[in-house]
Amino acid sequence: MLTLTRTFRRVIGRDGDSAPAKARASARTPVLETPPIDIAPNDPILAYFHAGSGAVAIDDLQLDSPAVRALRSAGVKLVVPLISQGELIGLLNLGRRLSDQDYSTDDRRLLEKLAAQASPAVRVAQLVREQEAEVRARERISQELRIAQLIQQQFLPKTLPNLPGWQIAAFYRAAAEVGGDFYDFIDLPGGKIGLVVGDVTGHGVPAALVMATTRSVLRSEAPRLGSPSKLLERVNDFLHADIPQNMFVTCLYAVLEPATGRLTYANAGHDLPFVRRGNDVVELRATGMPLGALPGMHYDEKEATLGPGDVMVLHSDGLAEAHDPQRQMYGFPRMRKLIGELGTGHELIDGLLESLHAFTGPAWEQEDDITLVTLSRSSVHGETEHVLVEFEESSAPGNERRIMDRVASSVRDIGLDPKRFERLKTAVSEAAMNAIEHGNRLDVELPVHVRVSVTDDELLIRIVDNGGGRDIPEPETPDLEAKLQGLQKPRGWGLFLIKNMVDDMRVHTTNMHHSIELVMKLAAKKGADDGHD
Amino acid sequence: MTTATTTTTADRIDEWTIVIRVRGDVTAASEQPLMAAYGQAGDKTRAIVLDFTGLDYMNSGGIGLLVTLLVRANRQKQKLLACGLNEHYKQIFELTRLDEAIGIHDTEAAAVAAAKA
Repeated sequence: MLTLTRTFRRVIGRDGDSAPAKARASARTPVLETPPIDIAPNDPILAYFHAGSGAVAIDDLQLDSPAVRALRSAGVKLVVPLISQGELIGLLNLGRRLSDQDYSTDDRRLLEKLAAQASPAVRVAQLVREQEAEVRARERISQELRIAQLIQQQFLPKTLPNLPGWQIAAFYRAAAEVGGDFYDFIDLPGGKIGLVVGDVTGHGVPAALVMATTRSVLRSEAPRLGSPSKLLERVNDFLHADIPQNMFVTCLYAVLEPATGRLTYANAGHDLPFVRRGNDVVELRATGMPLGALPGMHYDEKEATLGPGDVMVLHSDGLAEAHDPQRQMYGFPRMRKLIGELGTGHELIDGLLESLHAFTGPAWEQEDDITLVTLSRSSVHGETEHVLVEFEESSAPGNERRIMDRVASSVRDIGLDPKRFERLKTAVSEAAMNAIEHGNRLDVELPVHVRVSVTDDELLIRIVDNGGGRDIPEPETPDLEAKLQGLQKPRGWGLFLIKNMVDDMRVHTTNMHHSIELVMKLAAKKGADDGHD
Repeated sequence: MTTATTTTTADRIDEWTIVIRVRGDVTAASEQPLMAAYGQAGDKTRAIVLDFTGLDYMNSGGIGLLVTLLVRANRQKQKLLACGLNEHYKQIFELTRLDEAIGIHDTEAAAVAAAKA
């Protein structure tokens, strides 16, 4: 009932004239305003107003009521309750008549009629105002979410490390409320690399800020402190001093020596990473309290070795703890089983996400952030893949040329003959154009991911867009006659060109992504270099 | 970064022949400059020579555009010829069999001579 006095708190001067005259008079004489009168929900006067007995003469009331005293001292003589659908929604407060006479029965009847007609209109106005306030509140919340998202994205790695003999892939998708997931790669002395995956309790801006702080401390201390357990101890003490109450951070930190596959790791209460060796999937176990919860904590430090062909999967609970419509949890066992069956890198990530999608159903609203990072070691010698460049471009029209130029400059030194170099450029620009226009439908928010790598005998260019779930049409053999007769549209040469420019073309579509891999043979294999008929 | 730009100039060689010099890119975005140059051909023109000496980049969108141009030229019973293509784009013309509909010549002089034949 707090809207009561806010809506109607005017003491209306009244001289008993006809309505038009009154309107003119009130335009000339300043309207007196009472100060806002708050009526407590337990004030006895409310019973009078609710009784529906019409206008209430304040001076006649014999009530011990703070509201009555307030109304009297404001000079209010008559109060007409505004009732809409049985609910008291406002008061029409009137001061003394200008003639100083009492309000007549006719006056009261007129006022009551007016109140009965005004009430629904006032109620509608109130509802509109409430709704506007709600919209503003919602806008403020979504603004906060945007800020949280911005912070989060700002601190996630923009590029993946380039480690010869290793393949790294990462996926992060924020929940609607933006949780505090993060992952990071830290360059360490001696060619080692620090791998981080973590989760801040809570959501929104506070979680994003704690995530940013944790990341900064990890980054600044990691190169100095070689040991993962020492690093987590240090970060824990730092965070404990500053973190808001009831917030903490789970975090797994591992140091990889790429040359040997040796891994040292420590864990602050985070989900255990999986490692696939052949057909086996094991968890890397290490115990420790989450960061920031208690001071002076110690963390186990463990070791493992990732052999050729092994795959490590770092993750947050967003995937394993997702629920289906029957509230069943996706669970770690399901995840573990799937990791044993799927491929590596993006294929593995997409496979997990597809399985999640199938499990939760299409109507699922993501409950928490999902983070997946995979680290795969190339299987055997001869398959060592060296990444020349890996980058993303936005899906703006014309960016296929930027992609073409960046790929071209990355392969300039690998000794491709000039003809094949030109063909590669055309193939890359066509594939990139398809990714931008068809895969990502020119949505500049969507990136085209490009990875250029060489093995012993092949140059591989992989171009990935977000156009998953749709089939890629078979390259159409262009029929110029048909096109000239208007039977085929003049365009549609892209895939045909790509296929003819490179030695091999592999396409792969998942629910999420569509990727095309262009292959140029590097070894001087006779017949492979000039066949374009 | 390189921005996609196409410039075209149309030069009349004689009553029946014009040369359209294309510089920069030929992509789907080149429609306006290319068709504007073609628009200068007029009714009496019997042959259009596309000089690609200044070509930096052509993609499938540009090829589609050439097909559109070819359709229009055919309708007007005009011959379409090309010159100044580098090896790479010559190969693409062969692949797409555009070379069967657009006469390809090394130099502008050779193309103009062929136009009169």
